[in-house]
Amino acid sequence: MNIIETSNLTKSYAGFFAVTELCLHIPKGKVYGFLGPNGAGKSTVMKMLLGLTRPTKGSFVIDGKRYPESRIEILKEIGSFIEAPSFYGNLTGKENLEIVQSILGLPASAVDEAMELTGITQYKDRPARKYSLGMKQRLGLASALLGRPPVLILDEPTNGLDPVGIHEIRTLVRSLPQKFDCTVLVSSHLLSEIELMADNIGILNHGHLLFEGTLNELRQMAALRGYPYDNLEDTFLAIINDDNMQRSGIK
Amino acid sequence: MNFRSECRKIKRTGFLPAFIAGGFLAGAVPVLNMLFRSANYIKPDVNPVEVLFMANWQTMALLNILLVLEGACILYHTEYTDNAMQRMRTLPFNESGLFINKFLLVLMMCTILVAIEAAAIGFCCEHWFGGTVIHGAAGYMHICIEILESLGYSLLLVLPAALLSLFIASICKNMWVSLGIGVLCIFTATMLPADNFVLSLFPFAMPFQILAGTAPDTVYNFITACIAEIIIILLAEMLFLKARRSFE
Ligand SMILES: Nc1ncnc2c1ncn2[C@@H]1O[C@H](COP(=O)(O)OP(=O)(O)OP(=O)(O)O)[C@@H](O)[C@H]1O
Ligand SMILES: [Mg+2]
Repeated sequence: MNIIETSNLTKSYAGFFAVTELCLHIPKGKVYGFLGPNGAGKSTVMKMLLGLTRPTKGSFVIDGKRYPESRIEILKEIGSFIEAPSFYGNLTGKENLEIVQSILGLPASAVDEAMELTGITQYKDRPARKYSLGMKQRLGLASALLGRPPVLILDEPTNGLDPVGIHEIRTLVRSLPQKFDCTVLVSSHLLSEIELMADNIGILNHGHLLFEGTLNELRQMAALRGYPYDNLEDTFLAIINDDNMQRSGIK
Repeated sequence: MNFRSECRKIKRTGFLPAFIAGGFLAGAVPVLNMLFRSANYIKPDVNPVEVLFMANWQTMALLNILLVLEGACILYHTEYTDNAMQRMRTLPFNESGLFINKFLLVLMMCTILVAIEAAAIGFCCEHWFGGTVIHGAAGYMHICIEILESLGYSLLLVLPAALLSLFIASICKNMWVSLGIGVLCIFTATMLPADNFVLSLFPFAMPFQILAGTAPDTVYNFITACIAEIIIILLAEMLFLKARRSFE
């Protein structure tokens, strides 16, 4: 069963298409890796799912609720973290989480749980403005995890983290479906990273979905089309390269 | 969106101290004025409240408007500087609630501000006019009511300026831009001729109005216009939020 489905989702900015006729199918209870080079439109898609930007065309359904009619209902189910961390710099990490907790109407224990999971408990009383980049990133993640939402949308959650942090967050993301019974949509530019976290992947380039399926299906597809398939990073690069060549050919 | 979380967000922003300090500064205006120039004002048969307002309100009102503007800018600055607004907009509530609660917070601060000013005016009445111009318990009672009425009126008339400041601050992501626009508006307001009714309806000009010594008709007109402005600015904010959502 798919918990998120988009149909012909399109976003254009002043004549250029950031996302074109996207049809995503994200199965419930899985980690879905959203992959693409810089500017592919990953963040744009995630922002549309959160109602931060309005689709030029198309629509989507999350957990049976359709956008835009049920925007608020949809937001109740999503924990999110988009691009740069967003927080109140004058408040401490804990106070930041408490704001979100009180808006969502969650018990106070949710804050402690989220801080524990993301490892910011020891910095909870420091103003968020004075956090290091990695701590801000973790604060953003903690805020997304508050209240164990059924759907998590994480845009490059390991950006700015040290190797140990990257490993920690990967492991956390990987474990979320079992732990919280939730679905995760996570983006990255690195297939090597997605490979370690995701069950299903979608590859996006210039706003077009080039591939959607499991990692095994990706290997099969690569073998069929003559792309290298022993190293998935190479597969990814070959797919993107091929698509870019075709695109310049069309022009 | 709850009022309590709006109150929590102002921690360490200097919002509360600004209003308290501003209130005492505005309260000091009539006291200092009387301390040094009381001879000019104390005459038999004058209305002390009217005299005090005439002599000091222009300065006090200017302070009030500046504080309200600064408060509005601080409130939205915390939302925009570290991009907290983006997280807020992905939470399940209507953005208009955020605006309304920020307005309630400013309203609460204005009430405190005006209460400090009322105390200062009351003190001046008692200290400089008591016994000579004001006589007996009935006289004091009368003065108290007059002060409360005057400042209630002032509180109401400062609300459109507060709302407009919040409206500007909610549009501009950079605090300095909204502060700049606000200061320009205040500057314009002080240049407007005070005897022109239509021009003095400009939200930033209205707080300079005084209740004491004004004809009841004029007072009635100002109150009506003030309520209309409050409604219009609220509607404008709702429209703006809707439009921003569909264009972004
Ligand atoms: N507000 C905007 N106005 C105009 N163009 C925009 C706007 N937001 C995004 N774009 C464009 O849309 C395209 C997709 O951007 P997006 O941020 O979704 O990429 P991304 O896949 O998240 O890239 P990255 O990996 O660098 O984060 C880019 O070409 C970008 O310049
Ligand atoms: Mg991005």
